Amino acid sequence: MSTRVNRPLPVAPRRLALLRRVRAVALVVVAGWLLPALAWADNFVKFEGKAPEEIPAGKFIAGAYGFIWVAVLVYVVFVARGLARTNAEVAELRRKLDGGAPRA
Amino acid sequence: MTTAPAPRASAAPLSLAFLAGALLTALGFAFVPFLIAGAPIESTMGPVQKIFYFHVPCAWALMLSTFTCAGGSIAYLFKGSARGDRVAVAAGELGVLFGLCVLVTGPLWGRVAWGVYWQWDARLTSSLLLWLVLLAYLLARRYGGPAARRLAAALSLFAAANVPLVYLSVRIWRTIHPTNQVVPTLQPGMRGVFWFSCLLFVALWGVLLALRVRLERARTALEELSLDIDDHLDRADEATLRPTEALS
Repeated sequence: MSTRVNRPLPVAPRRLALLRRVRAVALVVVAGWLLPALAWADNFVKFEGKAPEEIPAGKFIAGAYGFIWVAVLVYVVFVARGLARTNAEVAELRRKLDGGAPRA
Repeated sequence: MTTAPAPRASAAPLSLAFLAGALLTALGFAFVPFLIAGAPIESTMGPVQKIFYFHVPCAWALMLSTFTCAGGSIAYLFKGSARGDRVAVAAGELGVLFGLCVLVTGPLWGRVAWGVYWQWDARLTSSLLLWLVLLAYLLARRYGGPAARRLAAALSLFAAANVPLVYLSVRIWRTIHPTNQVVPTLQPGMRGVFWFSCLLFVALWGVLLALRVRLERARTALEELSLDIDDHLDRADEATLRPTEALS
């Protein structure tokens, strides 16, 4: 029966083992990074002829102009309502001030 | 810091000049699509180039709003001008409004011209940053606590410092956005439509600013009246208490 004594490795072989481990991890990382790119490259199909993307400009022009109209109108309504409400409150307070209304 | 006396809130109807200006502006907006449709089509970009006739004026309105906001803020910070503060908040809101119009119309144009809605190039990114700073101005005013107005006023100065950067970004950095040389080199048929559209947007900006300043003036008067009411009631309470004190 032989007994194996676990002695610590000398410094140089320990460093070599570490380097091997680092190399293995680096290879795995690079492979993990490259493989999806390589797979995607396989999906590339070269096409011949002109195939421009047709985007209807009219819809975009109308959309842009329409957005400006809506935004400005919403803002005007917001300000006009605020103005009406504030003026009503001011009139109410003036009435109280002039009439000397009692504290609520 | 002394502040100006509270303005008298006017419940009177809007002035004739203001109404006439607002009506003319609205009519102009209804009429300008026909002008734009009749303008020549740009040879490289095609019909989508016509977004230019409101995208660029919106951008100029954004810059004008930012400078006006900063000017009003300077008057408020260094002179204690309440009127300056009112103009600043009105201009700040208009900056957010027209900035939003720029950030929507631009990508719609870009989708057709560049194939993508957005690119993180210098002009687009700095414009977005400017809009965000103006939004921060409004949020600071709303939620900034006791020193909200001063904090927001300082933010507006930062926004104004960003405007030259936005304008010159196409010259300083290599960008996908068209340069500032487009307007001076417009074809004759496009020039008239463009300047009419610019004039219209400036008129719209003026009308909206006047309306918003009016609202702010009314709110200030409401605050002052509320304080007057409280003072009046306190004096009335004191007057009723004095005879009872004399008896005791």
